[in-house]
Amino acid sequence: MHLPTVRLAIACVAALLAGAALAATPGQPAPDFTVNDASGKPVKLSEFRGKHVVLEWTNPECPFVQKHYNAKNMQALQKEFGAKDVVWLSVNSTNRDHSEHKDGAQMAAWMQKQGGTPKAVLIDDASTTGRAYAARTTPHMFVIDPAGKVIYAGAIDDKRSANPADVKGANNFVRGALNESLAGKPVTIASTTPYGCSVKY
Amino acid sequence: MPHPPRPPPSALKPRFASFVRLALAGLVALLVVAPVAHAEPVRTPNVEAELVSERSALVPGQSATVALRLKIRDHWHTYWQNPGDSGLPTTLDWKLPGGIAAGPIQWPAPKALPAGPLVNFGYEGEVFHLVDLTVPATLPVGHPVTLAARADWLVCEDTCIPEGVDLTLTLPVATGTDAHPKWGVPIRATREALPRPIRGWTVTATGEGPKVRLVLAPPADAADPGAIRFFPFGEGQIEPSTAQTLARDGSRLILTLPVANQLAPGLTRVAGVLTAQNGLSGPRAATIDVPLAGTVVAGPKPLEAPTPKLDVAAPATSTLSLAAALAFAFGGGLLLNLMPCVFPVLSIKAMGFVRHHDARSTMHHEAIAYSVGVVLSFVLLALALVALRAAGEELGWGFQLQSPAVVTALALLFFVLALNLSGLFEFGMFAPQAVAGWTAKNRTLDAFLGGVLAVVVASPCTAPFMGAALGYAITQPVGVTVAVFVALGLGMALPFAALAWFPGWRRRLPKPGPWMERVKQVLAFPLYATVAWLAWVVGAQVDNDAVLRLALGLVMVAFAAWAWRAFRGGAARGFALAAAAGLVGAGVLMMPLLTGAVATAEARAAKSAVDEGWQAFSPVRVESLAAAGRPVFVDFTAAWCVTCQVNKRLVLNDPEVIAAFGRNNVALVRADWTRRDPEITQALAALGRNGVPVYVLHRPGKTPLVLPEVLQAGMIHDALSTL
Repeated sequence: MHLPTVRLAIACVAALLAGAALAATPGQPAPDFTVNDASGKPVKLSEFRGKHVVLEWTNPECPFVQKHYNAKNMQALQKEFGAKDVVWLSVNSTNRDHSEHKDGAQMAAWMQKQGGTPKAVLIDDASTTGRAYAARTTPHMFVIDPAGKVIYAGAIDDKRSANPADVKGANNFVRGALNESLAGKPVTIASTTPYGCSVKY
Repeated sequence: MPHPPRPPPSALKPRFASFVRLALAGLVALLVVAPVAHAEPVRTPNVEAELVSERSALVPGQSATVALRLKIRDHWHTYWQNPGDSGLPTTLDWKLPGGIAAGPIQWPAPKALPAGPLVNFGYEGEVFHLVDLTVPATLPVGHPVTLAARADWLVCEDTCIPEGVDLTLTLPVATGTDAHPKWGVPIRATREALPRPIRGWTVTATGEGPKVRLVLAPPADAADPGAIRFFPFGEGQIEPSTAQTLARDGSRLILTLPVANQLAPGLTRVAGVLTAQNGLSGPRAATIDVPLAGTVVAGPKPLEAPTPKLDVAAPATSTLSLAAALAFAFGGGLLLNLMPCVFPVLSIKAMGFVRHHDARSTMHHEAIAYSVGVVLSFVLLALALVALRAAGEELGWGFQLQSPAVVTALALLFFVLALNLSGLFEFGMFAPQAVAGWTAKNRTLDAFLGGVLAVVVASPCTAPFMGAALGYAITQPVGVTVAVFVALGLGMALPFAALAWFPGWRRRLPKPGPWMERVKQVLAFPLYATVAWLAWVVGAQVDNDAVLRLALGLVMVAFAAWAWRAFRGGAARGFALAAAAGLVGAGVLMMPLLTGAVATAEARAAKSAVDEGWQAFSPVRVESLAAAGRPVFVDFTAAWCVTCQVNKRLVLNDPEVIAAFGRNNVALVRADWTRRDPEITQALAALGRNGVPVYVLHRPGKTPLVLPEVLQAGMIHDALSTL
């Protein structure tokens, strides 16, 4: 039959037609990275293949980050899912040239003071990982499944404010995505628009 | 440095000068119209805020305009209704007495404010957020009322600080009033500059994969608007930090907008504010709200240079730029020469060269005539399609094959060509591939007709194969449509024309010999296969009886050919009569198919050929399945589409794929376009397509995923993993 010929020819054209680049959006593989933690030890994302990973873009100077830490919301999430073997990485992509930049020691001290328990605080002070993920706000949350695919990207919750009182009663998208994925279910809300301060590139 | 989000009111010192100004203004107002409006400006570390009124008093039964005035610290900004990459819009929460009601904030046009590589939308300096109040007629005159509002905003420079204050404005209630001496003018000026629906200009929006093309057609007397920027009302639609490009096409302006990387589902309209340096026939800012044609996919990541990669699971962009469409059409035309329906015909023609050694000029004439035949045929097909669409027919490319009459005629044509290749008979001047009996006189005409024939035999292959380029073409102005079809024709004509033009190339062809006869006979078989497939298409379009009719008709044709050949070879006259009888029999058998007399069978055959596990397509069905939260996979297909059938056999019927659909509770819907179906044509158009195959996975809460036209099982698995 002549079908294979047709198939081949069509494949050539289809190959030409495809090619729109996609990004670190839900459904796509999470870009791998190696970034030093607060103690200067390199951390590679792909080392955590087989586990869920949460990337939390953070900046202690940002009122929206303060909202979630002052309300103990972020710490509670880190603890809740740390217990479920989820790897939590807090990433500070504030550029080293920016006035809000904090070094590893400062970030470690801040996180300790907040009582946060992420697996690591990553000092992305060249902002490369932030750019690779197109992280635009603090906080900006990404959830990655054990296969290394982004399954959630966006806001931490649906209360777009800097008021700590709004944490109560908010629909936390990160918790929703993790609970669904841990239960083997597809993530219902996989993408939202993040809110917060701009990442200080 | 963190700031307290809400300074206690006792700590707020009114700015002295402003207070004096207000007091003086109040004094003046008191002399003119007593009593007077009274407000409390409030200062935070970064913003001076107050409620102000356009007029000095409220009048029962008349609407009034008040405003939240923010005077923002130099180099700091607050946000528009869509804050852009980060930030929060300013909010007002009213507490109003006496049945007074407040409308929404009327947002002045924003500015694009870069924050590093990110871009926010907002205001610097002094900004008035206008709010219209409805004042009931029953409001008692003579008793001042106090309007109270909680105002919250985020104010940022490099650092962001959320701030909020409680504001009040006390206004007298009078039977008449004047403009407020201080705030009347700026409020009125703000109102006049508010973006309003665009006037005079015609705006259309087309999704082209990761871009949205806004076409702005000016009214006759419009001056050049200069630099233009679009601010979308909604988030997750247009990428704030990626450049918008402005091009001019005659008097029309084409603003290309980057689709958001994190595209929110349901982008069906383009709504927002357009700002223009020199104004859009007047105002500097206007609103637009237009439906979005075509399809969009999430744009590339905004913060780094996009690295193009071939991702098979990526939705194939259905909409192309003109240059790309022309290039694809040309390349597609080249590849058409290798199609099973075309290759035998053209290779026989090439063999003709092997035998002939003519004067160069003859060969040149022939190359030109052939090319003209190909291009002209494609253009005629295109114009026919355009004309039919203009007449309101819901047609797409491949429309020729939606009629059983055309398919029957093609089957007949392929069969006759195949018989010829098999050596059962040879025909005269209308057979361009006939290798003998050519004379110099009719060779140019033969070459032209050869081009026409090549297009006719190629038509079953073009539809599935050129879907994207042709789909693009026929939704464009006629000139563009024709250009794409000309490119397709030139591509198809090129190899043969080149062979004819450059005799040197022909030396690389094998030497003539008896092998040519064998090759010719072998090449008949792809044509027989094509006939078998076309017969099956007729079966799908009409019914089993039609297949029998067609097959018996073809047998009659074969009989006639055999008898005629015998007669020409010296057999008795009876053979000629037998040949004529065979032709008549073929005619009787096939005439109902060719004249469309079987059309009534369509109603009977409205069975839609639904396969097990698949539901027949209707837009309502897809919507209701999706509304029930189920993923829905739609297979846009047609019996005459080779690609569709290959994909169906090799991928969609693959047990693992079927199992994967089951595991994900995917509803399977088949849209069968074998016959004309306006609902399916419209559904295809909504996807920016004009032909089949198209595979779409509707995902709950996400944008639909359009899969590539050449399907592989892995693509389905990848697509399902995004659910």
